[in-house]
Amino acid sequence: MVIAMATACMKWEYGLEEEFNVAGSARGLYICNEGNFQYGNATLSYYNPDTKEVENEVFYRANAMKLGDVAQSMTIYNNRGWVVVNNSHVIFCIDLDTFREVGRITGLTSPRYIHFVSDEKAYVTQIWDNRIFIVDPKRYEVTGYIEVPNMTMEQGSTEQMVQQGKYLYVNCWSYQNRVLKIDTDTDTIVAQLEVGIQPTSLAIDCNGKLWTLTDGGVEGSPYGYEAPALYRIDTESMAVEAEYRFRKGDAPSEVKLNGRGDTLYWINDDIWAMSVDAESVPVRPFLDSRGTIYYGLTVNPISGDVYVADAVDYTQQGKIYRYNSRAELVDEFYVGIIPGSFCWRN
Amino acid sequence: MVVAVVLAFGILALPATLSAQATATRHYDIDAVDILANRPMCQIGVSKTTIDSMQLRRSVSLSMADVLTFGSSIFVKSYGRATLSTVSFRGTSPSHTAVTWNGMKLNSPMLGMVDFSLIPAYFVDSAEILHGSSSVSHSAGALGGAILLGSAPTDVKGLELSYTQGVGSFRTFDEYLRLLWGGQRWQLSTRISVASSPNDFKYINRDKRLNIYDEDMNIVEQYYPEERNKSGSYLDINVLQEAWWHNDRGDRVSLGAWYLHSNRELALLTTDYGDDSAYDNRQREHTLRAVASWRHRGAEYLLDLSGGYTHTTQNYDYKSDPGSGIMATMTASESHINTIYGEAKVEYYVANSWQFTGSLTAHQHFVESRDRALRLQQGGTAIVGYRQARFELSAAATVRYRPQERVGLSLTLREELVGSKLSPLVPAFMADVQISKRGNVIAKASVSRNYRYPTLNDLYFMPGGNPDLRSERGWSYDIGIESGGDIVEGVRLQGSATWFDSRISDWILWLPTTKGFFSPRNVKDVHSYGVELKASAKAKLGRGWSLRLDGNYSYTPSVNVGEPISAADRSVGKQLPYVPRHSASVTGQLAWRGWAFSYMWCHYSERYTMSSNDLTLTGRLPKYYMSNIALEKSVELSWAELCFKGLVNNLFDEEYLSVLSRPMPGINFEIFVSITPKW
Repeated sequence: MVIAMATACMKWEYGLEEEFNVAGSARGLYICNEGNFQYGNATLSYYNPDTKEVENEVFYRANAMKLGDVAQSMTIYNNRGWVVVNNSHVIFCIDLDTFREVGRITGLTSPRYIHFVSDEKAYVTQIWDNRIFIVDPKRYEVTGYIEVPNMTMEQGSTEQMVQQGKYLYVNCWSYQNRVLKIDTDTDTIVAQLEVGIQPTSLAIDCNGKLWTLTDGGVEGSPYGYEAPALYRIDTESMAVEAEYRFRKGDAPSEVKLNGRGDTLYWINDDIWAMSVDAESVPVRPFLDSRGTIYYGLTVNPISGDVYVADAVDYTQQGKIYRYNSRAELVDEFYVGIIPGSFCWRN
Repeated sequence: MVVAVVLAFGILALPATLSAQATATRHYDIDAVDILANRPMCQIGVSKTTIDSMQLRRSVSLSMADVLTFGSSIFVKSYGRATLSTVSFRGTSPSHTAVTWNGMKLNSPMLGMVDFSLIPAYFVDSAEILHGSSSVSHSAGALGGAILLGSAPTDVKGLELSYTQGVGSFRTFDEYLRLLWGGQRWQLSTRISVASSPNDFKYINRDKRLNIYDEDMNIVEQYYPEERNKSGSYLDINVLQEAWWHNDRGDRVSLGAWYLHSNRELALLTTDYGDDSAYDNRQREHTLRAVASWRHRGAEYLLDLSGGYTHTTQNYDYKSDPGSGIMATMTASESHINTIYGEAKVEYYVANSWQFTGSLTAHQHFVESRDRALRLQQGGTAIVGYRQARFELSAAATVRYRPQERVGLSLTLREELVGSKLSPLVPAFMADVQISKRGNVIAKASVSRNYRYPTLNDLYFMPGGNPDLRSERGWSYDIGIESGGDIVEGVRLQGSATWFDSRISDWILWLPTTKGFFSPRNVKDVHSYGVELKASAKAKLGRGWSLRLDGNYSYTPSVNVGEPISAADRSVGKQLPYVPRHSASVTGQLAWRGWAFSYMWCHYSERYTMSSNDLTLTGRLPKYYMSNIALEKSVELSWAELCFKGLVNNLFDEEYLSVLSRPMPGINFEIFVSITPKW
């Protein structure tokens, strides 16, 4: 018995690849669960809104390997999913039906988001780097960079991307205060707009207006601390058209649009909704906070259902609440640790 | 590299220059002195584990993290070989463990915890682990317990030199040198240790698979790669200079200065697809600890005055090559800690039945944390960080009373001033009763309340520090029984069993925020309870054979009993993440005429990685058993004593993890040659 105790091996299962095929679920939702920084326990979940079924850890189960450390975002292009795993310095390309890897991009500094310009070109934003990487998604190769002026590596941060015509708009977030305008033909920055401290997210509405939401920075920070704000920006002139200030100390995040692009949603403790044509922000939230800090938000582009992520204590499976556009709870389900971003399959 | 060459040369030159002498490892044939019968007043009701001094001497090549792993049942969480290793008791966190060296606190005032991988066992002559309430009379804020490390003079007369060279797997080189001089009144000791390794052990990475593509970039094959522990090199240099003086009137003066230089890369996670040559992720530390004390022992009293100073500079550098071949700085954070310490302690005895102890301990911390450099919106640059000073004063009074020979009672009251905040009174009551004199069976019990004030990073770190944090609070109860004695001539058995129950409220955890940084909050209430068992046996088997066995076991359910954070919270009633319910260790040693064979074994049960204990693929770390063996032989020559030692770590080549995504080495080897010249 003593010998058995001394030599008993750690039980570990490897190499089990599970077969999936979710081809029938046309409007599926992919959920990136960041996992805990430095623990490599990011996961990918898949939710079918029709059947209300959720599958967790689908990348691990399909590929018999971990997704990595901090799954930041996912983008779908040409029926492939591109999962950006920030602190693993990798972007996995997966088959949307089977979740099996079909390729990967490496050689990245600290990737945050990927945006496709064409079949041959995509941009990857970074933190801790003053460059936006240009990649060839067919060859999974980094092919070039767009260097952001007046940005150091140490303070480098480029974040979300939205495109209108040939122009791409990028918010610079961590210890930054800018929105960039990039000509995707020439891969050059053609304009910049200073907004408030730390613009977190971007969206372009049905009127072609760009929206961003700042978080206001941190109290005591030498970079500054101010009341956060929601900005409406004219993309042509790169000028702020409207600015809605929040209270100092608020931490708004995740500005999103519905499928029609006529209603904005964001998190600021509660979940807020506002017509893009409104003159002022609403006084009542769309959804009350349920005594927790919401971490992620998305709107089903077809049905208009609102999905809210609760990271709970950040060390257990987070929970997703699904509401219809009348703020009635439709479903709720558990996913992975720190569900932060969503990606719709349409 | 240079160091490796120098060290390699060192061992090649050994036969020619070594008039060497032995280290710790040569002492295995000396029987340890055990004191069972005496029940000193200061031990009334105390629940402690003592790491045997011989075990410490044998562990010359180990860090204290390794010694505690195999010599106790407290939980050592290791982030890798020669990487951060923290120690926690009874389901508490590492910052709930107070650690002292010769009376001076080692816990960082910024982080609260101690990295035991940076403490070489070579510098430690005594190690006591005080469980739960037993820590209150020694240290403040130790909600889990305290570990008291010390160095001590020997009985050497004249000059003694000992030198050990170790060479091991992964191009590991260890060197240890000790110079001792002992006179009538004075004793001087110099200890130096140098440890280095590229630390690039191989392992099969089960967390990632590599792809083989065809010409059209279709994956045709995937496989788990055999990888090396990338970017995990280290160089640790420690120097300890001590001096002791005593006279015949009961005075003893101790002076000690310990300098640490550590330069360690932070190894890549198993899930990292980055090119390690394009990154430099490094932690550097310079620490100087100096302590002086004067102790005077009178007929009925003991007076102890000590003072010390600690300076630490820690750097964390994260650089990457943007393609130019020149490393560009991504993070260059730096922290400076200066601490001045002073303590006065007095013990007074009355008629062998009363003991009064009082202590006053003061710490003045000055800290500066500098994170990254920013270009500001309005122009110019600034550093993100903070600078703070904090004064801490802790006063403790203990009364111990033995109304009769078999009964002991002890009451400690402690009061702390942190900054301008006065803590509530911290009481600890302990008692013991000798149930059987013949079997030396002693029953013990204790109860205490304790507080831990937030660290300076908890309060002020930029960004994320939370000045509104409350102190963590705890109650701890222990009941135990111990026994020991010679069952037949030459065979000695000892054992103890302790049941404990503790509760900690307002547990501080660092959690992410929506602004991309972490911030601490008072979030949890934790109930830990369980059993700690210890047993040891020593036997002289005749014809020069001797056997020694030590075993420890802990059963530690540590359950979150707080209110749910939100309606979705499933962590209430669940075991804390990374705390094993079962942990055990056994060390055995068989010795015969200069030969000694040692077996070290430890076990940690399955650990959850989520607070909800979800059994997902990444939700748990499987249990593991670890075995190390050592064989050593000492040789007496006319001019020197030599000792040869071979060590096999991870004997059964287990694939195991202590922390998710942190690779651990498989079977590995190290040999040591020690020499002690005879002058």
